[in-house]
Amino acid sequence: MDSITKMVVINSSKLLPSDVVIKLYESNADVLIKETCFGVMVTGERKVVDSLLSTIRKMDPYGIFVKERGFAPGEPYRCRATRRGGARPGFHNLESEDKLLPHIASALRALDKGEIPQIKQKKKKLDIEKLKNIIKGTEVQQ
Amino acid sequence: MKVFIYPTNSLILSDLVERFGHEPLAIMQEVGKKVKSQGLDSPPLNITPEDPKLGLKYAAVEVPSGVRGRMSLFDPLLRNAEAAIVVRDPVISFGCMGCARTNELVNFLLRAKKIPLLELDYPSNEEEAKEFVYKISEFLKSLKPAEEKK
Amino acid sequence: MTSTENPVRIAQLSCGAEYSGIQKEIDSAVKQVNAVMVYPEVDIADIESIEEEFGLKVASPDLKLVMARAKSIVTGKVQVDAVFVATCFRCAEAALVRSEVRRYIHEKTGIPVISYSFTERTTAGTLLTRMEALTTTARRKSLLAREKQSGLTAGIDSGSTTTKAVVMRDDKIIGKGWVPTIKVLESAEEAYANALKEAGVKREEIQALGTTGYGRFLIGEHFKADLVQEEITVNSKGAVYLAGKQKGTATVLDIGGMDNKAISVIDGIPGMFTMGGICAGASGRFLEMTAKRLGVGITELGALAVKGKAENVKMNSYCIVFGIQSLVNSLAAGNTPADVAAAACHSVAEQLFEQQLQEIDVKEPVIMVGGTALIEGLPKAVEELLKVKVIVPANAQYIGAVGAALLASGFISK
Repeated sequence: MDSITKMVVINSSKLLPSDVVIKLYESNADVLIKETCFGVMVTGERKVVDSLLSTIRKMDPYGIFVKERGFAPGEPYRCRATRRGGARPGFHNLESEDKLLPHIASALRALDKGEIPQIKQKKKKLDIEKLKNIIKGTEVQQ
Repeated sequence: MKVFIYPTNSLILSDLVERFGHEPLAIMQEVGKKVKSQGLDSPPLNITPEDPKLGLKYAAVEVPSGVRGRMSLFDPLLRNAEAAIVVRDPVISFGCMGCARTNELVNFLLRAKKIPLLELDYPSNEEEAKEFVYKISEFLKSLKPAEEKK
Repeated sequence: MTSTENPVRIAQLSCGAEYSGIQKEIDSAVKQVNAVMVYPEVDIADIESIEEEFGLKVASPDLKLVMARAKSIVTGKVQVDAVFVATCFRCAEAALVRSEVRRYIHEKTGIPVISYSFTERTTAGTLLTRMEALTTTARRKSLLAREKQSGLTAGIDSGSTTTKAVVMRDDKIIGKGWVPTIKVLESAEEAYANALKEAGVKREEIQALGTTGYGRFLIGEHFKADLVQEEITVNSKGAVYLAGKQKGTATVLDIGGMDNKAISVIDGIPGMFTMGGICAGASGRFLEMTAKRLGVGITELGALAVKGKAENVKMNSYCIVFGIQSLVNSLAAGNTPADVAAAACHSVAEQLFEQQLQEIDVKEPVIMVGGTALIEGLPKAVEELLKVKVIVPANAQYIGAVGAALLASGFISK
């Protein structure tokens, strides 16, 4: 059986990890559930986990983000409690992505409203002739 | 479709690909296979000294062992990728994504594969995030949905 | 290495170890020396600002993590006894970080640090001697503080090429034994017996015995040694003792039969060190083979080299096969045996300089020890490359045995 773990990262003003945990337990699905500081980890058969999480997403489509995790929860080589010291490498990554989630949420909201954002032009490096002129201009002032 | 994401451990990219009806190809799946499918011979990742040798498929022996070991982990993802989303200047990320040389090689191989590819910059504010999400959604819409592919 | 001691806490600052498949080897080596690896705590803000603070910009995120973890040690956020800095062999970016991080921790904290570049072939066995030295430095400061030999003690150095033994009494060497290593135990018996004979003492009279070198565990068990210690610690101690440079900084160089050691020493205690062992062209064996091809004894090679000019001979390889071939060819082209001998010494010294001395801070005095130090052309070649005076103490070839006998006197009356 293909057992996988998915992380449910919650970045929501109306939802707490515990709300999600309750909902998960209510489902009676054959999964293992672990609450974490970022949200919840759900372990089970891929199909079961995927279908369960598609329902969970609906609790707050803009506040719940999901990704797979390689290690099972509490894996001694990755768990901070048994690893003697700092977090596993992926933790810092998650930490930095978490900061961006509110922006992603509002982008998703805008998308659902049908907003088309302005596509920014990439900044080009200044034309060398212009730079030369600026330098000449500065020299005159001095 | 199977969409390779770069950074390969990104929560945001993984989520968006799945949200828009495709299958993200992320490194976590490969790590999961490694650590769960066999006895843990070579903790923590179960990468053994054999893996850097398998990585010789992508890089010669003068390339550091860490690059080749990572490449062997990336191998199934690169082979299965049907499309890819590459973020050019991702936020700092570690572990599987911790080596710049590996990342350069992975990026090159994706481009060389001539599959549908979206390259974009990492957003730093709300406006850029809107553009980021919009471009990704348009790109993913242009691909055939996962269930229609066969 | 008794199990009742608290494990030594070694911080692991590394990039690529897990992906090279060698983390298991690292863990196994530290377990054997009763130590544990710890991973210093950092937070995301530390990592984001580390390049600016450290002043080194790198492309690989895991190297940023290495620098941030180093800072965490220096600022005292985490308490560790020793540090192991390791990155992939042949990664230029990592080599820069490894070197600067090692220097940074060493200078700011005095915590013993070693650095290592690994490949997928690195094994626990290769790492063991290094970890043993690292933990000894962290754990046995009082033992290493010993500056004088006392009582009647002996030391045996079971090296890959030769086995040496000394007997010491009241801070003086009174007996020496030196034999080629054929069978580890038999050669050790012979060397020890010779030393005892010269000293005129019986084995039962010896109050404490120390063993070192490749065969240290085997002979240590056989002779029921009081101290079984790797050669980094023992040679550092032996070198500064014999050279009379126990206080302050020193650099100890030992070109061995199978590997080379370059050790940066402070007050007789090893700080940073490197051990090389991949290339025979950088070993004493290279000189032995050159001597053979020149038809002179290894003891004559040095004097011959001093008379020659290395620059007269063009060598296009450091290799023990191809390098020596080009030496032989140069004889046919009209070079003198003296020039060839000098070129051979230069070749070995240059490899040591290029591959190992970049990894430590060379501080004067530079002390060369081991049998190869007696090949006069070799210290001369090192002097020319480093542009410093090289000290070769008397009895330099007995360095390990002397160091072991000296340290063993700490075990008398126990």
